[in-house]
Amino acid sequence: MKFIGLVLKGARRSKRRTLLTVMSVAIAVFLFASLRAVLDGFNAATEASSSTRIVTLRSTSLFFSMPTSHAEGIKSTPGVQDLTWANWFGGVYKDPQYFFAQFAIEPDSYLRMYPEIELTPEDRKAFLDDRTGCIVGDGLAKRYGFKVGDKITLQVGIPIYGTRDFDFNVRGLYKSGGAAVDNQSMFFHWKYADERSIQPGQVGWFVAQISNPDQATQVATAIDEKFANSPNETKTDTEKQFQATFVSMFGNLNLLLGSIALAVVITTLFVAGNTMAMSVRERTTEIAVMRTLGFPSSTIFLLIAGEGLMMAIVGGIIGVSLARLIVTPDLMQAGAFIPVFGVNNANAVMALLLSAGIGIFAGLIPATMASRLKIVDALRRVA
Amino acid sequence: MGLIGSYNLRSMIVRKGTAAMTAGGIAMVVAVFVMTLAIAQGFRATLVASGSPQNSIILRKGATAETVSGLLRSDVPLIETLPQVARGADNRPLASPELVVAIALPRQTDNQNANVPVRGVGPKAFQIRDAMTFVEGRQFAPGTREINVGRLAVGRFKGLGLGSDVKFGNATWTIVGIFTADDAAFESELWGDVDLMMPAFQRIGYQSMTVKLADASMFDSFKAAIESDPRLYLKPSREQDYYAEQSQAMTTVIRVFGTFVTLILSIGAVFGAMNTMYAAVAYRTREIGMLRALGFSRFRIVTAFLAESVALALVGGVLGCILALPVHGLSTGTTNFTSFSEVAFKFRITPALLAGGMLFSAVMGAVGGLLPAIRAARIPVARALREI
Repeated sequence: MKFIGLVLKGARRSKRRTLLTVMSVAIAVFLFASLRAVLDGFNAATEASSSTRIVTLRSTSLFFSMPTSHAEGIKSTPGVQDLTWANWFGGVYKDPQYFFAQFAIEPDSYLRMYPEIELTPEDRKAFLDDRTGCIVGDGLAKRYGFKVGDKITLQVGIPIYGTRDFDFNVRGLYKSGGAAVDNQSMFFHWKYADERSIQPGQVGWFVAQISNPDQATQVATAIDEKFANSPNETKTDTEKQFQATFVSMFGNLNLLLGSIALAVVITTLFVAGNTMAMSVRERTTEIAVMRTLGFPSSTIFLLIAGEGLMMAIVGGIIGVSLARLIVTPDLMQAGAFIPVFGVNNANAVMALLLSAGIGIFAGLIPATMASRLKIVDALRRVA
Repeated sequence: MGLIGSYNLRSMIVRKGTAAMTAGGIAMVVAVFVMTLAIAQGFRATLVASGSPQNSIILRKGATAETVSGLLRSDVPLIETLPQVARGADNRPLASPELVVAIALPRQTDNQNANVPVRGVGPKAFQIRDAMTFVEGRQFAPGTREINVGRLAVGRFKGLGLGSDVKFGNATWTIVGIFTADDAAFESELWGDVDLMMPAFQRIGYQSMTVKLADASMFDSFKAAIESDPRLYLKPSREQDYYAEQSQAMTTVIRVFGTFVTLILSIGAVFGAMNTMYAAVAYRTREIGMLRALGFSRFRIVTAFLAESVALALVGGVLGCILALPVHGLSTGTTNFTSFSEVAFKFRITPALLAGGMLFSAVMGAVGGLLPAIRAARIPVARALREI
């Protein structure tokens, strides 16, 4: 610890160089933390999904719907406690570029089974009582300036709902109480869409509440067996699995973002290592003098390595703080794709550890170089 | 080259360790730049390749993709008989009414279900898309539950080999042929007889129709003919425009993301280059003084050091391009969000992309080298010469 003054002195030797190095580490750490935040954001819904909810789809794919009569069959399956259903509406708000998700839900049971949709009791009642009412997430409301009492008009996106526009009254703004539900969606009464559908009585997916999460697979199999060999065969999965298929739709994000993060780290290692090597080379005479004065080579090693580590950690702290400030849902509009978006504590710690790692690796070779200097040669050398 | 050019080049070689590290940092940035843009390029190329200038795709008015479009059976003869539609050797119109749905199939890589497009096509479909060739097997026989599969889909999803059976729409379909289509999006699809698929998927109409025009220049009159027919609530587009538009959103997202990441990353690399160049200037203060004393102007010194920095960065740029090259042709996939089904495509590194990478590296070198070069030129001659 007593050498900390010397380490600081070393870092101040060339202020510009130290600053440039610190900033390049800061940028790397910022990028790393942001990339992690994006990845975590994508996976958040999967991570937070409930283990007691299972989702039944048509086995063909989620493009196909099934009749409401499936509800009875699913409900009577042992282990199923509660049931709700929903449809993808796919309406167009003003222009296709203003995309957001709209779900036609069976309102009572859906709100009951998704406590993550947080509504005040008054809003909830107002929504349930209005057949053409809808609720929107607070994030979505902010994006398009929706307020309670507003009218939202959606053009039909999927031909099955006819050609006439749908009008909705905003009856409440909900908050998301967990990543399983994002705050960028709109929910409305399934009946409202259904009564105008060319093919009424169709459901996109059922969600069943099960009493025991350990039985999820058995219950799912039991449900699918009920509808096997019927014209509307089903495929039931846990909510986690259901969410995971959505994440995997984007392609191999883990690999893509992972490779970029690796490139970031390598680039920074090059930059920081290079700087440290330069500063050691410049200080050759100085180090030789210190060795002559009796500093053991291990101390020299620690001094140089410590300098690298210190610069990297300062850079890391700056980078993480920047990421925390900038990468927030308010500033970075990731839209409907990433529901939860921000640098969490685990990410921050990981990024800091990374910066320390960069510091250690970057300082290693120059520090070894410095500690192995031959005093006589070094003293003889001119700058 | 002259004295000053070779001087800078040789001093770069003297400092090969430092130079290599700086170039390495720039190489990584360029590699990331080229690779992310290669994704956007590949995705776009795949969709654009799906369109032919001579073809037109007809969708319901207002539909943004085939999956949300609809076309009545009765619309088909009205379009087919238009004089602009080309005719085959049998004098039948080259038009294919189609149905596109997606079925869930597990991927080879992660076993997750993906939405794989299934296209029901008319008998003329393979004549309309002239890039289609069979690599294995043969075309499905109309009126049977035989299907053809695109080559990229075979590699990406489980259970799509030649001869295997696929279950969907309450029926079993046999794969009798595997086709390629110049890397177009069709290579990610399953094709079968539209008249069997419609009942299998409980559909009552088609979704789109693709026709080959007798001549590409006839599109305008073809469009006018359809739009003036009060019985048709349809909108024809040039096939190329339609697919280019489909790729727009996704390509923009990837491009913005790639540029954002590389720009931030490049700041780090520029700082690295700056450090190196400042150190280079500091080491060579005396030499610079000497050059100035010999009569080289300040401007020559600035350009010399800038050139050194740019040369260093260009070495990094070449390295980065070489690092990125192996991903060319690798196939991957993502969801086309306008159709909500998966498209397989290949990373595509084009000469223009490589040139972009090189230009980017040169800019990094110039930005990183500018301040140190100015500093070099400002060194007072007398003091520089005195320095040890």
